[in-house]
Amino acid sequence: MSETSSNEARRLAEGARNRVRFEEDALALADQVYRVARGVSRSKEEAEDLMQETYARAFRSWQSFTPGTNLRAWLLRILTNLNIDRGRRAQRTPDSQPLEEGDYFLYNRIEAATGETEEERVLDRLSQDHVAEALAEVPHDFRDVVVLVDIGDFSYAEAAQILDIPIGTVMSRLHRGRRILKKEMADLAVEAR
Amino acid sequence: MSEVDLCDWCEEVLQPYLDRDLSATDAATVRGHLAACNWCEKRYKFEGDLRRLVKTSVTEPMEPALKAKLANLRLEL
Repeated sequence: MSETSSNEARRLAEGARNRVRFEEDALALADQVYRVARGVSRSKEEAEDLMQETYARAFRSWQSFTPGTNLRAWLLRILTNLNIDRGRRAQRTPDSQPLEEGDYFLYNRIEAATGETEEERVLDRLSQDHVAEALAEVPHDFRDVVVLVDIGDFSYAEAAQILDIPIGTVMSRLHRGRRILKKEMADLAVEAR
Repeated sequence: MSEVDLCDWCEEVLQPYLDRDLSATDAATVRGHLAACNWCEKRYKFEGDLRRLVKTSVTEPMEPALKAKLANLRLEL
């Protein structure tokens, strides 16, 4: 074998090894990526579709990933971009901003509706199903940030990198998103009685 | 600030306080108020409990069938 062709063979083998390593690393993160997918999706089926689209795209464009950088953030950037494309299609009135209330609103509303005065009893009026249902009502710009930071445990800086927005925007969307979430939860918790 | 104004102010800084984004001076003012105001203290405790509820709301694990589908999306060598 000439020197050129053996170098070529070595280069190909090296590329294949890198790709397999990339694929294995990406699949090992699937459970963590799924938590975010499920958080930003309205249903399990939607989350599963989103996961498949995300991984199909990741495997196709593996060469654009820089080894040694944050693969979890890279995967979630693909996922949130795909989800934004869908969200924009589904959103009927993009201009209408949801009403948000102050941070005590949820507590005040449950207390007023139930007459409960103990914190534990007020909390008992809420369930994980309420959270999931309320999250689905939060517009995706806000929901993505809340899911990444409050469910996915990402820092502001990581969320900013994933969503390609400034850190200040992450913080303002997080604060507003949490308030919108609580307002949606108040409607569910008080209606459900 | 009057006590009622302090309650309003504490509602306003609830999130940065729990996120530890508040200055040391402001955080001390919050702690001082919470020690004296049961009304705000309950609402702060509730917010912490609510955050734990939100964090654990997505608990359903990924279906093994989905995991297999993802693995199958790998490109052929």
